[in-house]
Amino acid sequence: MKKRLFVWLFICAMALGMMSNVMAAKTINLVMWTQQGDPVLGEIQRLCKEYTKKNPNIRVEVLNYSTEDIRTNFQTAAFAGTGPDLLWTVSDHAGPLSVMKIINPIDKVMPRDYEKRFTDFSLEAVELDGKVWGVPISVGNHLMLLYNKNIIKEAPKDTDEMIKVAKEVTIDKNGDGTPDQYGLLWNFDEPFWLAPWLGGFGGWPLDGRKPTLDTPAMVKTLQFMHDLKFKHKIVPTECNYDGADALFRQGKGAMMINGDWALFGYLDRRTRKTVDLGVDRIPKVSETGKWPSPMTSGQYFMFPSYLTDKERIKAVRGLVYHFESKEVQTYFLKEHKRLPSLKSMLKDPALTNDPIMSGSMRQLEVGRPMPTVPEMRPTWDAMRPEMQAVMAGKITPAQAAKNMQKAAEQGIREMNK
Amino acid sequence: MSGLTPDAIMLGLGELVKLLPIAFALIVVIELFTWFLCAKIIRTKFTLAYVMLAPGIVGVMALIVFPFFYNMFLAFSNMSMTKFLTFSASLQIGLQNLIDVFTVPVLQRTNIGTLIIRTIIWTFVNVFFHVTLGMFLGILLNRPLKLKNVYKSLLILPWAVPEVITSLTWRNEFHYQYGFVNIILKSIGLEPIMWFQDPFWAMISCIFVNIWLGVPFMMVITLGGLQSIPQDYYDVAQIDGAGGWKQFVNITLPLLRPILTPATALGIIWTFNKFNVIYLMYQGGPIEGTHILITAMFSAIFENYRYGFGAMYSLVLFVMLLGISSIYYKIAGGFKEVSE
Repeated sequence: MKKRLFVWLFICAMALGMMSNVMAAKTINLVMWTQQGDPVLGEIQRLCKEYTKKNPNIRVEVLNYSTEDIRTNFQTAAFAGTGPDLLWTVSDHAGPLSVMKIINPIDKVMPRDYEKRFTDFSLEAVELDGKVWGVPISVGNHLMLLYNKNIIKEAPKDTDEMIKVAKEVTIDKNGDGTPDQYGLLWNFDEPFWLAPWLGGFGGWPLDGRKPTLDTPAMVKTLQFMHDLKFKHKIVPTECNYDGADALFRQGKGAMMINGDWALFGYLDRRTRKTVDLGVDRIPKVSETGKWPSPMTSGQYFMFPSYLTDKERIKAVRGLVYHFESKEVQTYFLKEHKRLPSLKSMLKDPALTNDPIMSGSMRQLEVGRPMPTVPEMRPTWDAMRPEMQAVMAGKITPAQAAKNMQKAAEQGIREMNK
Repeated sequence: MSGLTPDAIMLGLGELVKLLPIAFALIVVIELFTWFLCAKIIRTKFTLAYVMLAPGIVGVMALIVFPFFYNMFLAFSNMSMTKFLTFSASLQIGLQNLIDVFTVPVLQRTNIGTLIIRTIIWTFVNVFFHVTLGMFLGILLNRPLKLKNVYKSLLILPWAVPEVITSLTWRNEFHYQYGFVNIILKSIGLEPIMWFQDPFWAMISCIFVNIWLGVPFMMVITLGGLQSIPQDYYDVAQIDGAGGWKQFVNITLPLLRPILTPATALGIIWTFNKFNVIYLMYQGGPIEGTHILITAMFSAIFENYRYGFGAMYSLVLFVMLLGISSIYYKIAGGFKEVSE
């Protein structure tokens, strides 16, 4: 009796499993991974639902991971030949993922010449070996000068003026020896914040695939950053991203260097009580007469190399069309302050009439695409500790530049083994 | 929380409902196979026991044994970013990986020697304070005390709060200008410390946070052990004229040994491999000064794509931990019975 029960239970379980698989085959369930958190994630889910309404046989599941997790988890999933049907991620993932051969160039999924509808600078950030590895969603991810109009009326034009103005507004209100309001805030833990100044002094971290860190431009950049803290004393003694962000929100910073991702957050009702936001280019470097050039990248759709089923490709293509419409890009521009990637939107009044977004766009014009090559990663890692050591006053800029170069060359050698 | 919409929940539940019959069928197959093997082929009298154990064994094999051996395989491979899908494995590559672990910098400016020394100091200091402070508090709480349960609950709190929250909260408290640690230092006339920029002080702050997190566990373990020691022993010792210290050395410590030895061994392994505190507070910075072996491994594998190297590095770490734990057990006599 017990044996029979066992056998029947087993048969039922198998039948149920098979039935559910047959039922599932009728609809296409797409999975998209995105590194976009709230509130954009909610919008993405809403747009996916809209897509399902238009295409009832296609359902889209959206999963959210942090920027680093999306890369590492995708690597693991792709290694096993499975994972999402579509990635919504940042441009700097295109380099390593394409070298690993786990994403395809966009012409494998999208029609020929589809990329022509996008701005050149949005495509440059995902071009490698003559191929385009991502469909641009929004561009930017670049640093710019944010200033609080309650403290300074307009943005300084060059670094000399910036230092002069910043000194005037760095104030110790309670006389305890530590300023309560700072002239300039920025994250000096991360070399991403060093890149604009390096460009302004005429340097760049990579020349093709070779690191170019031990250069006079790097030494001058590090010296300039060091002087802002130790000589001019216009930045806090310690300042990481969260610290800079919190001080600026509280109205305790006249100027701040931060990215376009943060703009939306400074326009909420609570922050508006302390911050009247202005946006402009990071001031020209007085010594060279050059504009600092922040690294630009953006958000992109990328296609896994295991996506080969024709029906799924068609469904993914439809989803990309849905997100790349002018209406959706206008919505993200107005509601989430994201710069559009479509050429046709560059002169759109929604962009040109918005002082915040046009300021962001002005900065973007002098930015440079972040190198897509995977060598950028060890180069960042080589720059970080040395830059931190300079900002802690532990080594000289010249020594730091030398150490960076050596570490980057070693890191690239190890990575390419 | 906009990600957790009713749609997403329904979709998740739908997936679960689809998965359940498959999981159930898999368990049935495992059970039937084990039953057939034990009852019909081997004909053992322990068939029922094996049938009960089978799903668990399969789970452990899939989640622990297979990954462990796969990691060993990767340690002998040249898997990296450029050879992600086309890597090869051989004894020669494995040996080269092993040599690289000890000769090539794991990070940009830190080699394995520095990391080993730093990890040993980190582990020793942390475990020392976990055990001594935990034991001290355990002994205090074992005495007759008013509001004992309130103190107990308060002291266990750091353990109950997720590590992520504790680490990030403490991180803010070490802020140069607004953190309360520097505010206290200033109020007693000392110079504020640059916790975020000086590697030495950054490490000190990490150790402090980890001690804060680890003491309650040892306190609970010690308290449990103390409550199992009969009061008679102490009464007899008192009659014989033994003072508090003698009672502690001759009664409390030996009787706590069977509990404290495995707890301390666990503490060593956990602290040696402690990733969260260091990574959440400083990501191994400033100037790579708070990286220990495990965080450096994460950086090498997941940030710099050195998979073959990283797998060999983790194997070296495993051997080191095995060695340290064995030596500790031998010295502490953790395998001995109390009566021996």
